[in-house]
Amino acid sequence: MSERGISHAVTVEVNGEKVSRIVAARQLLVHFIRDTLGLTGTHIGCDTGNCGACSVIVNGKLVKSCMILAPQVDGATIETVEGLADGGSLSPLQEAFHRYHALQCGYCTPGMLMSATYLLRQNPHPTDQEIRRGIRGNICRCTGYVNIVKAIRAASQEQLSGSRPEPTAVSEEV
Amino acid sequence: MLLEQVEYVRPRSLVEALEILAREEGAAPLAGGQSLTNVLKNRVASVDLLVDISALDELAGITRKSDGGLSIGACVTYDELDHSVDVRASHWLLGEVASHIEDQQIRNKGTIGGNCCLSDPTNNLPPLLVALDAVMELRSLSGQRSVPSAEFFKGYFATALEPGELLVSIGVPPLPARAGAGYASLTVGADAKAMVRAAARVTLDADEGTITDSRLVLARVAHVPVRDTDIEARLNGADASEEAVRAACAGVADGMQPIADVHGSSEYRRQVAKVMAVRALTQAIAAARSSGNGSSTGGK
Amino acid sequence: MTITSAPVTGTSTKTWSGRSIPRKEDGRLVQGQGAFVDDGGMHGQGHAWFVRSPYAHARIVSIDCEPALAMEGVYTVLTGEEAKAMCQAPFFAIAPPPGSLMQEWPLAVGKVRYQGDAVAVVLADSRETARDAAERVIVEYEPLTPVIDPVAAADPAAPLLYEDAGTNVAWHGLFDYGDVDWALENADYVVKLDRLHFHRFTSSPLECNGAVVHFDRGTGVVNVLSNYQMPMFAAMVVGPTIGVPMNKFNFVSKDIGGAFGIKIGFYPQIAALALLSKKAGRPAKWTEYRTEHMLTAGHGNERTFLDVEVPVMADGTILGFKVRAFDDAGAYLHYEPLGAVIWSQVVPGCYKLKHVRVDYTEVVSNKCPVVPNRGYSRMQHLWLVERIVDVVAHELNLDPVDVRKRNYVQPEDYPYETPNGCIYDSGDLPRSLDIALELAHVDEWRQRQRELGTGSGRRIGIGIGSTLDSGTNNFGQSRIINPELPFSGNGEAAFVKLDLFGEINVNLGTTPQGQGHETTAAQVVADILGVTPEDVNVTTGFNQANNAYVGFSGTYASQFAVSGLGAAMGAARKLRHQIVKLAAFALQADEEEIELEGGMARVRGSEERSIPFIGLSNMVYTNNAGLPASLLEECDLNARYVYVPPFEVPDSVAKTGNLTLTYASQVHVCVIEVDEETGEVKVLEYAAVDDCGNRINPLVVQGQVHGATGLGIAASLYESLDYDESGQLQQPSFYEYHVGTAMDIPHVECGDIESPSPFTPNGAKGMGEGGGAPLHAVCAAIQDALGSGGPVVSDSHNHWARVYDLLHRAPAAPRGVEVVRRTTGSDSDVASL
Repeated sequence: MSERGISHAVTVEVNGEKVSRIVAARQLLVHFIRDTLGLTGTHIGCDTGNCGACSVIVNGKLVKSCMILAPQVDGATIETVEGLADGGSLSPLQEAFHRYHALQCGYCTPGMLMSATYLLRQNPHPTDQEIRRGIRGNICRCTGYVNIVKAIRAASQEQLSGSRPEPTAVSEEV
Repeated sequence: MLLEQVEYVRPRSLVEALEILAREEGAAPLAGGQSLTNVLKNRVASVDLLVDISALDELAGITRKSDGGLSIGACVTYDELDHSVDVRASHWLLGEVASHIEDQQIRNKGTIGGNCCLSDPTNNLPPLLVALDAVMELRSLSGQRSVPSAEFFKGYFATALEPGELLVSIGVPPLPARAGAGYASLTVGADAKAMVRAAARVTLDADEGTITDSRLVLARVAHVPVRDTDIEARLNGADASEEAVRAACAGVADGMQPIADVHGSSEYRRQVAKVMAVRALTQAIAAARSSGNGSSTGGK
Repeated sequence: MTITSAPVTGTSTKTWSGRSIPRKEDGRLVQGQGAFVDDGGMHGQGHAWFVRSPYAHARIVSIDCEPALAMEGVYTVLTGEEAKAMCQAPFFAIAPPPGSLMQEWPLAVGKVRYQGDAVAVVLADSRETARDAAERVIVEYEPLTPVIDPVAAADPAAPLLYEDAGTNVAWHGLFDYGDVDWALENADYVVKLDRLHFHRFTSSPLECNGAVVHFDRGTGVVNVLSNYQMPMFAAMVVGPTIGVPMNKFNFVSKDIGGAFGIKIGFYPQIAALALLSKKAGRPAKWTEYRTEHMLTAGHGNERTFLDVEVPVMADGTILGFKVRAFDDAGAYLHYEPLGAVIWSQVVPGCYKLKHVRVDYTEVVSNKCPVVPNRGYSRMQHLWLVERIVDVVAHELNLDPVDVRKRNYVQPEDYPYETPNGCIYDSGDLPRSLDIALELAHVDEWRQRQRELGTGSGRRIGIGIGSTLDSGTNNFGQSRIINPELPFSGNGEAAFVKLDLFGEINVNLGTTPQGQGHETTAAQVVADILGVTPEDVNVTTGFNQANNAYVGFSGTYASQFAVSGLGAAMGAARKLRHQIVKLAAFALQADEEEIELEGGMARVRGSEERSIPFIGLSNMVYTNNAGLPASLLEECDLNARYVYVPPFEVPDSVAKTGNLTLTYASQVHVCVIEVDEETGEVKVLEYAAVDDCGNRINPLVVQGQVHGATGLGIAASLYESLDYDESGQLQQPSFYEYHVGTAMDIPHVECGDIESPSPFTPNGAKGMGEGGGAPLHAVCAAIQDALGSGGPVVSDSHNHWARVYDLLHRAPAAPRGVEVVRRTTGSDSDVASL
């Protein structure tokens, strides 16, 4: 498909749903996701591709959506943070982030969850060093990464053991 | 953050891409976009038409050549290099250096071609490719040509590419027998941009006690990766020992004027260049000894 | 009014306060359903983009907006002169003259004073159009010589930023406590340090600034949806300037992606956007991107310390110190020169130093204006004190642990009055240090350090950083800067109510940016009303229309656990009183017999005589006929409470007084490895011990310790903001400014002590900023790695080139320190110190 022009027709499958829009060639994918599709869970934290707040999964690969132009994803499958929960249930990673206080302001969290989700798909039993490498592309200013590593480790161990603690809204000391 | 008006086209074949690049002034190829997108966001360069070559079959894939070398498509990503069984088998260090480029997101998109063609002095792969005697395969509508990697990098964001030419693949020759490669860099932060990089390839004699041939390439002491042939001359024939390497490297980067910036003075960078050179060479010697083809630890 | 910390009566002995329950905020945040400012907007809004100066110092010769206005989709452009004409006065100044003559308007007028200074702002129909149009605005500048070095800026011969002020010195003052001259004459040693320098950096919250501002021409109301973190301060400064009274402002914020004090700086942008909106007749939405943020949002204070002299006894007792301090406020004063007194909350640091003289100069320079970056002003001073203690130990060949313990305020000394009248409330620094040393396995590392010896090309260094996190300011300290200021004390407001169906609702005057207010406020309110935190709804964010605010409202300065929760507790207690009264009436019992549990009010010992909260709401809101008027007057189920800490106005002449209510502490220990050939530093092990009194939610507290530690380690090794001589910022984006990643920041092993504060409603102390302990600890670790006789680690930022220089400085070269031994005079009777 070889099209010219400043406006492009883009059809993508986002979190399992097919959408079609007309985009300007210069629109960054992150703005397409946020402004055009209204999925504001994916965030913008920098303008040089360093912070990872915009991380999503495109065609199965973890990428920074601020470093891709919207027309580039025509025909692609995109996963954003809004697609992680299954109906009413949070994913094991989302649960673990909650239980281990792996988020404070929550701004890096969507991108961090996408990176962690991708990491565990590629490497279901990562060491702490591998976890840190897996989220190196996601900056967090609030947590010092300590609890994020803990949460990802816990989620990977749950996936290993196949069991998950009952998710509760209010629980005892962690 | 926000781009200027630009047009975008996704050609279906390499020939179509070359036709567009030849025809349109202000057209630029878009591969992984992990560097070019920043250039466009910050409006430091103007592009009228982005030609998306990232999915072209002709630029993909890693092939083993009959001489044991590799042909790496220009749009092979850093992640593909990291996980390629072929790369790790014959050129382990190439996969290892690629695995330390920034982060997973960038490795999933950034390409070896982009890393070379944008010729940012901080880039990881160019000095290693020069040390490995890699050859750039260029194509245009009028034909193709090969350019040794040592002659490919011309300056800040400038390469040997002529208008209308595309880098289509990189040929990496097999390591000679009893040769090993090494790589060392001083970065600001883990897997981050480097202040100085050194890549080395060393070939040993049959007893593995003497260096018979060497390559020492430094990045960030000049605008382009530089082969330090003076040091190489001193190394050839020297003992394959750390003391001999240190002695030979005493003059590394002397006479060069690395840029001074907030990370360090020119003099400091020269000092660090010496240290990185020694480390890269020492690693290369160890790699040469262990299996003769660069499959040992090291590389950052 | 004081609040007792007596436990609330009830049948349950379990409390929610003190428990590490996971947060209520998390649900929406992990699903990407947070409400951050760029996620929302207002109908009919335009997008704004600021036109900013590339020069650090220049006269504005002309501005031509026509090319921008000619573009399709551009609504309007507002220039500095236009904005000024719409204003009643420049922004309110904290400083007295000459600082008050350093006027600032919403946009630059006449000249620009730092790279990025805004000269105009464009409003257009899309982000991209606004950005493109801003580039078309033609500004002609006449460059002037910039002033970059803060000490040079104070020189009368330096180029002036503000001709009307006649100087670059915004404020100067001498803080003189005890008798440091006497101490210098009588001490066994005087340790002299030429120069110490605390560098400029930023906590750079991941979410940049943002605001949607609508100046409604019809009603005159200014709606501000933003992530600004101290809304009433902005209102009080912006209102008089643009002519909007407080009752016509409506500040709203919801989720904020980190702030760390940086989001106190952008009120000029809010003012400019309000005027832009007024001119355009539509809301103006501004989204700041990272480069704009790095250049203009605000940096942390850079402070230079000259001629430090420290009188010390042979046994390591430090008598005090004197110093000349130069603080660099950047181009506009904003919150400065408040920092010139804020540091004095911790005059002696963690130690019993009695004789301190600080000659303090605040200058302006052609750099980005500073903001109260996490640790604001105390961090810089605490770093100075820790360097002093560390260097004294090294120079006198004393154990750094012993020197600290010898000089620490001891547990039995609390409450401890410092030389300028501040009261340290409680703590146990020696035990904190012991725990930190153990957590960091210091004994093993010392062994390894010895085994490593010399010649391996690597060195191990072990460093201690002790610090305080002073919280809940007495704003009366501003009068030490300017006696005319009408500010003193502090406070925070909260609203707790039963809603129509008996639901519990809490509105706070705070603007949380990740500190978990919705959870911790729910915990304390749940305890008082006998319910669970699930039953307590805390409204997300700040909304002026909720009327739960005072002038100090916001989230900053490590005070929420005291002021915010104090307000929530006070309001909950008021509400409880009403609930009990209504229930007593309804159940025909005495108030003393009523207990609350599980959303019910019941007569003690009787299951049947009970009424649910919904029944009480019904009485008040929807079913009140026949109820006694006096009962209804007293019980409207809407309890508003303002927590006010017990403060007096400080003495602005003597510069003394109790300036902060609580003092949390942190002691950190850092183990590093240094590569001798390159100066590269790697952190091998890290421990942090925190003491913030009673912890309402230990999990939340520990998260704050982790975060402050991560930022501090990154600032000490990776992050610095540097300007070249022409005033160009060398790190204008995250490409150049290396923010610490998960591969750079080590695991932090945490310990904790709880020394309850005797001064607060809940025994808690504010915490969060941290006090910069990692900077102190990393410097001390490098000092240790340098060994005895090494040069002084004199800068808070230690990138590899600097460490290399420290390692390889010629033995004859200046070390930055001199020790003078007193040779004359009899043994002084300083034992009584």
